[in-house]
Amino acid sequence: MNDIYIARTLESPEVDFRFSGNVLSLVGEAYPENAAHFFQPLLTGLAAYLKSADGRDIEFNFQLTYFNSASTKMLYSIFELLNDSACTKNRVRLNWFYDEEDDTILDFGHGVQDDFSALDFRPVTVDLGQIAA
Amino acid sequence: MQLEGFNAFCNNADQNGIIFYYNGSLSQNVIGTMGDALKQRLESQDAKGPISRKLFSSFVEMVQNALHYSPEAPDSKGEKLGTVAVGKRDGKYFIMCGNLVRKQYADRIRARLEPLRSMSLDEIKQAYRAQLKSDNNDDGISKGAGLGLLTVARDASEPIEYSLIDMPGHETELSFFNLKAII
Repeated sequence: MNDIYIARTLESPEVDFRFSGNVLSLVGEAYPENAAHFFQPLLTGLAAYLKSADGRDIEFNFQLTYFNSASTKMLYSIFELLNDSACTKNRVRLNWFYDEEDDTILDFGHGVQDDFSALDFRPVTVDLGQIAA
Repeated sequence: MQLEGFNAFCNNADQNGIIFYYNGSLSQNVIGTMGDALKQRLESQDAKGPISRKLFSSFVEMVQNALHYSPEAPDSKGEKLGTVAVGKRDGKYFIMCGNLVRKQYADRIRARLEPLRSMSLDEIKQAYRAQLKSDNNDDGISKGAGLGLLTVARDASEPIEYSLIDMPGHETELSFFNLKAII
């Protein structure tokens, strides 16, 4: 399984899916012109990795400061894959980075926590101004 | 336009609290660059973080909607056109976006927006979560409001406003669609 790395742009996040180390990260903002086009290869790679992974401790670092509605749908597909895997073969910790003054991201995180209860949801406060800059 | 006219135009924008205005061709590049400029403009206005983020979110949903769903402007080289204005009035920021839509979709747009105007924030949040979990794509013929419009309604502090106006000279096929959110 090849790792996936995509550098950050103005409208798409840094993607660092280090399958070899069981650590997956998304950092930045997500409002690409075509969200399905951007996220589909990530979903395909993730699904292949999860299919072969067994008994792993997977860490997912979610550090997005903004995502548009089309990306939100795709993110839900990612969480769904992770949740299904956490129900059966692997343990998945979801580190949810959020700015204390940004209620939107934390609210959304609580929704994710409710909808995907097999994920070990860990809120992490951070000054995202540093990442957003 | 005479320079005096331009001065009047600027004064008029100023009196209406406009801090950011764009009228022209829309593309993802333009949206990214404009979004960046808008963020800086809001920062210079000392807009609070959450307000600034909600404005940016509404901006992206509105202009990407215009880019994806508006027809090419007549008498243009296949361009998608849009107009965006951001301003502040009575201590609250607002954003407006205008673009062309095919007149045949006007009723569908009304049917999506009208229910949102009478929903409470809790109801909007519930509808948002329901739409997020549904498998329907919101660009199709789904009956509920799409996730994009629900996002705008969620970020707004007052009911969103809209208008649909026939395009002069193209009354049978095109309308101007204007959408406003007060954050």
